Amino acid sequence: MSVRKLAVMTMLAGAGIAVLALVAALGAPRASAQIRPYTPPKTATPGADWTERIEEILPPGVESRAEATKRVQTYTPDPAKYPIPRTPWDGKPDFSGVYWPDATFAPPPVALESLYRPEAREYREGGGAARGLIDWRGIDTPNYHCWPPSPVNGSMGGTVQLVSTPGYLLVLNEGASNFRIIPIVGENGAQPRASRRPSFQGSSVGHWEGDTLVVEVSDFNGKPWLGNAQPPNRLPQTTSDALRITERWSRPDAQVFEYRLVVEDPKMLTAPWTGASDRRGIMPYDTVQESLCFLDPELDARHREFAEAQAKKNAGGVR
Amino acid sequence: MNRRVTTIVVAAVIAAAALFVFLRGTSNDNEASDASSAGSFAAQTSWGEPNLTGVWKAEPLGARTGRDTFNLTELEALYTPDARARMKTLSAKDDPTMHCAPPAFPRAAMLGHPVQIVQRPGFAFVLTEAYPVFRILPTTGRPHTSEQYLYPTHMGDSTARWEGDTLVVDVIAFNGEGWLASADDKPTGASTGVWLTSPSMHVVERWRRVDADTLEYRATVEDPQMLTKSWETPMVTFKRQPIDVIAEALCRPEDGPETYLTRLGS
Repeated sequence: MSVRKLAVMTMLAGAGIAVLALVAALGAPRASAQIRPYTPPKTATPGADWTERIEEILPPGVESRAEATKRVQTYTPDPAKYPIPRTPWDGKPDFSGVYWPDATFAPPPVALESLYRPEAREYREGGGAARGLIDWRGIDTPNYHCWPPSPVNGSMGGTVQLVSTPGYLLVLNEGASNFRIIPIVGENGAQPRASRRPSFQGSSVGHWEGDTLVVEVSDFNGKPWLGNAQPPNRLPQTTSDALRITERWSRPDAQVFEYRLVVEDPKMLTAPWTGASDRRGIMPYDTVQESLCFLDPELDARHREFAEAQAKKNAGGVR
Repeated sequence: MNRRVTTIVVAAVIAAAALFVFLRGTSNDNEASDASSAGSFAAQTSWGEPNLTGVWKAEPLGARTGRDTFNLTELEALYTPDARARMKTLSAKDDPTMHCAPPAFPRAAMLGHPVQIVQRPGFAFVLTEAYPVFRILPTTGRPHTSEQYLYPTHMGDSTARWEGDTLVVDVIAFNGEGWLASADDKPTGASTGVWLTSPSMHVVERWRRVDADTLEYRATVEDPQMLTKSWETPMVTFKRQPIDVIAEALCRPEDGPETYLTRLGS
């Protein structure tokens, strides 16, 4: 009798322990115990350029921004020493983390400028005036309009927080506080339901190729620039609504993530352009901070004048 | 002897059944949380937290049409005499949203525009379509950003914890620039349409998923420099939207900020 009881209790206890162990193993949050909350310096003012702030939050032992950049640039990923973090839900690389600085480890094989179509010159001269910019020789660049950063950089400004969640990669920029939501196509291949209306950051759709997240970005609105003008020699590197970008995101080890891209824009470029390969280092913080961008009041005033003049012109029947 | 064997077999079957049910539950959760394809309908995330993920939208709320749907009559009555005096000197053009500054929650919950929530273990992220901005909510109850480093922002500094199935979010460190409602919200004849806050504002939000298609939100606002006592929003009911990604809807002052919400179709 007591032996039977013992046997039953043992079995039930065994089952209970097994269930609890599984709950613990599968259900426990991957706690970020060693990550500390982001602690921006007290002197920072809201809206201040993030670059000023980041100088003050250099990782321990790193003296300067230049040194940090060089370290990331020359870093050799070592997954044996720093295993690739993987998500508990699909075992794919987990990009989550705050990263800085942005370091190019492989420059573009050819200069972007060399691929611009000669016939796009007139459009570029205008700085894309038809798209809302009127004076690229001055301060009238997408940055001054608080538009999202150039898509060449994956719309990553400076310090960036990546977030892997089931079905998505989020790109949260500290600079300008803008964000991208990249839905990831699951194994069933169903496409994400999203607006395809042309926009500054386009529509992104990701899929996994092994451990690389490949993101196709399309449906741009023709307003982003790939690169700023360098007066008087280089015109703004404008885009068209035919812009398409293929990004490859990877996490070669726990210390960094890497980003590669190919840009196509048959209306502007004679051939697809392979951009710089970038790497960013992980920072010991769990959030980026708010750093909103506000339109330069001088530029705002000039745009209002311009809009009024245009309105007058239109009223006068000139075009 | 025979009975003992039977008992052991029964116990083993129970254990196996428990394991099977548990594992099946887990794998279902994994399937359901494949958000890109079908939206995440499971009540819990695969790591066992209440699942708030999805794109959600509520009806626009406020006091624009003579009907107060956001307890603004009560809020208006709570302003201190000093705050009222200051509010009389301001007008619609002083509303920071006119310069495209994002409104903080709970005001953002009144807009009637989509909000997307995603989660990973220990964090929830709230992303807004109108006045696009992201909020990072640590869900572990970790302390706020340490005081010596905390600086004031439009959206404030959040930390959150689960109370049962409710995500309770504590928000501090506002910059005092935001308004609690819009210039068009005039619940009484005496309303100025000015809804100031101060840097001492403290907001406690409660987010709860009621069912696969419904998310409830409410907030308590304290602001000892502006309000004589705390103010509670009514329940805001968000409904799940049949999309996986909110749209890009940048606010651009050069387009004329006053037209922004019109452009969004509010």
